[in-house]
Amino acid sequence: MLPPLDPVIHAQPRLRVTLALAGLPDGDAMTFPRLQELAGLTAGNLATHLRKLEDAGYITVTKAFRRRTPVTYLSLTRTGRQALEDYTAALRDLLAAPGNGTPAGSST
Amino acid sequence: MGTSTPAPEGGSRTGPDAPMSPRDALALLETQRDRVSRRLRTDIVAVLAGWGLTWLAGFGLAYLASGSSPVVSWWVAGPVIGVLGAAALTVSFGLPIWQGRGIAGPSRQVTSMYMWAWALAFGAVAAINAGLASQGLPARLTPLTWTGTSALAVGALFLGAGFLFRDQIHYALGGWILVTGVASVFAGFPGNFAVLSLAGGGGMLAAAVPYALSRRRSLA
Repeated sequence: MLPPLDPVIHAQPRLRVTLALAGLPDGDAMTFPRLQELAGLTAGNLATHLRKLEDAGYITVTKAFRRRTPVTYLSLTRTGRQALEDYTAALRDLLAAPGNGTPAGSST
Repeated sequence: MGTSTPAPEGGSRTGPDAPMSPRDALALLETQRDRVSRRLRTDIVAVLAGWGLTWLAGFGLAYLASGSSPVVSWWVAGPVIGVLGAAALTVSFGLPIWQGRGIAGPSRQVTSMYMWAWALAFGAVAAINAGLASQGLPARLTPLTWTGTSALAVGALFLGAGFLFRDQIHYALGGWILVTGVASVFAGFPGNFAVLSLAGGGGMLAAAVPYALSRRRSLA
């Protein structure tokens, strides 16, 4: 019996956001507009999903000032990176399991 | 799916908030991972290939335009070298700066210091050669000192990148460019151009290959 997919990540917008942030090396953070651009979401949609990811402890939201303009920086937490790895593995296991139309061991 | 997301506005079953099948999720994961990587990471293949081509064609044209019986006019070689150089600079400096917009953190500091290292090194190359000229270095030697000091700077910076990032390809390329620089001086004028074109340009193009192959392997 395979475990269910992490519902925090298993939604298209949140998977996009998580993947965009996962592209950053450890220690780096991304501004809200750049994340919006990379994830391909509207600002409102992004804000909603960021809240869910933050509640789950998967992202860090840092508010800062750059030349007196407020800037929001986002990055994945260690928990968030691990969650993405676990989600990816679970996804592959799920699709490799018999009865899912994909022969076992043929994951790319 | 057990998600606690509230129903999407308008109750739509399509569009970005629609439920996602595991198969769709894996497809999205793989395409997005590559797409994000391309947009955030410096394309080292493009950088090495760009400079390799610039050295190969640029110094090659310089060789053909030099000496007692030039095959090519400087009116042709000059602009081509300019365009190639501008393209290589765009790929190695302009593009990474553009890619880094909206990103903050240690990697940005490293990138910035790396780029300044190149700018400072070539500033010094120019100043040293100008100084040599003002100190009375014979004109017949200036092509040799310019190309020799440039190759020294490039080789040393690649060595540095090699040991800092534990990148053996960059380290080997750095060593090779240093040897090329030495050889170019002993080749005299205009042989120095030929050495830098074939050995220098060729070396950089060759160094691009393992990066391109490992990229292909990681996508397979």
